Amino acid sequence: MSAELFIPRSLDEALGVLQTYGSGLLVMGGGTMMMAHLNEGVFFPKKVMSLARAGLSGIYRNGHTQIGATTSLSKVSQLGDFPILADAAYQIGGPALRNMGTIGGNLYMPQPAGDMAVPLLTYDAHVELASASNSRTIPLEAFLAEPRSRHGTQELLVAIHLPNPTGRTAYLKLGRREANTPSVVTVGARVVLDGQGQVSDVRIALGAAGSIAFRAKSAEAALVGQALNTNSIADAAQLAMEESDPFTDALATAWYRRRMVGVFVKRTLEQLVK
Amino acid sequence: MESITITFKLNGKTTAVAVEPLTSLRSVLREHLHFHATKAGCGQGGCGSCTVLVNGESVLSCLMLAALADGQEVTTLEGIGTPQHMHPLQAAFFDKFAAQCGYCSPGMIMAAKALLDKNPHPTRAEIAEALAGNLCRCTGYVAILDAIEAVVTQMQEA
Repeated sequence: MSAELFIPRSLDEALGVLQTYGSGLLVMGGGTMMMAHLNEGVFFPKKVMSLARAGLSGIYRNGHTQIGATTSLSKVSQLGDFPILADAAYQIGGPALRNMGTIGGNLYMPQPAGDMAVPLLTYDAHVELASASNSRTIPLEAFLAEPRSRHGTQELLVAIHLPNPTGRTAYLKLGRREANTPSVVTVGARVVLDGQGQVSDVRIALGAAGSIAFRAKSAEAALVGQALNTNSIADAAQLAMEESDPFTDALATAWYRRRMVGVFVKRTLEQLVK
Repeated sequence: MESITITFKLNGKTTAVAVEPLTSLRSVLREHLHFHATKAGCGQGGCGSCTVLVNGESVLSCLMLAALADGQEVTTLEGIGTPQHMHPLQAAFFDKFAAQCGYCSPGMIMAAKALLDKNPHPTRAEIAEALAGNLCRCTGYVAILDAIEAVVTQMQEA
């Protein structure tokens, strides 16, 4: 068995390698998932590309915030102006894993890993994808809904774009222990209240509650125009449970996950009442 | 099979090694260079026993392509102390009985070193958070936290 490793020094070089090898190429961000598979002998790729030196790391502010795809989770965990994104990053793994894992790579992690998608959905993130001939920026929601195989064979995730945040935010992660664990369920929420204290805009995002992270849109819709109180929160939690389509794995059963969606949507929204 | 040559500073000494392209840094350290302090635990990023420092930052050497160490500075437990001249963290793990089987100790000590290099006066809670990625299955965490806290106290008094 032979393998060839590419460590491109620029995005253009990386896109060239991708164009040449396409679907035969395994692309790594920080490698925290792919190296685990290689160590385990899950697969034996012939061509591998690491994006670690492709210059895709960094956080830029220019009216909005741009986070390079290979920015480490450690760096993301220090983003003070996006508190629940920082918090969600800090709750992944331990410090060494966060020094390696990247925000872009995290968006390719299968559930129940991939916690970054939840706060990013809450903040209305867009993702920038590039191929050798084209680039496009699409809502994260659309990116998550596309088959993963499409990206990485034709396009690379280059950056994540975030509008300036409005409203109050909260994020909760339930794991089997305090740290270094995949999620049983994660909830991110952001509410904008009008002058009367009624919800004018809201996002509720759920992780580990379906095959991809998603927004609980019927729960969101039920809150608009309502004050955040015991009744409206209970209704939203119930709708979020109904919208969920969770799975059973070694961490939790689908039955338990669905109930925890209800409990944690309630607790997350309660943090936003004041 | 094409091998690649990587050159890096290992514990201050320039080291070159020819490896298969997808070899992990942990394999290079243990199997090619015979630096056995760094342990092979889960191989999945879950246990922290393979923790080393690259340019002063803690990383999981199981999950790092050795090729990415090219041109970098790698520090393993062997680089911070010897049996005759132990690093204060090693001495404290010894004095406070913070190692039972000892398999997690090198990773624990490297994670603790990464913390103390950045924050010499962490609280006990900050120490615990710094060790969040390091599992111990026999000693228990209390003695390990005590050992690191003892080093913090020593540094404050010195």
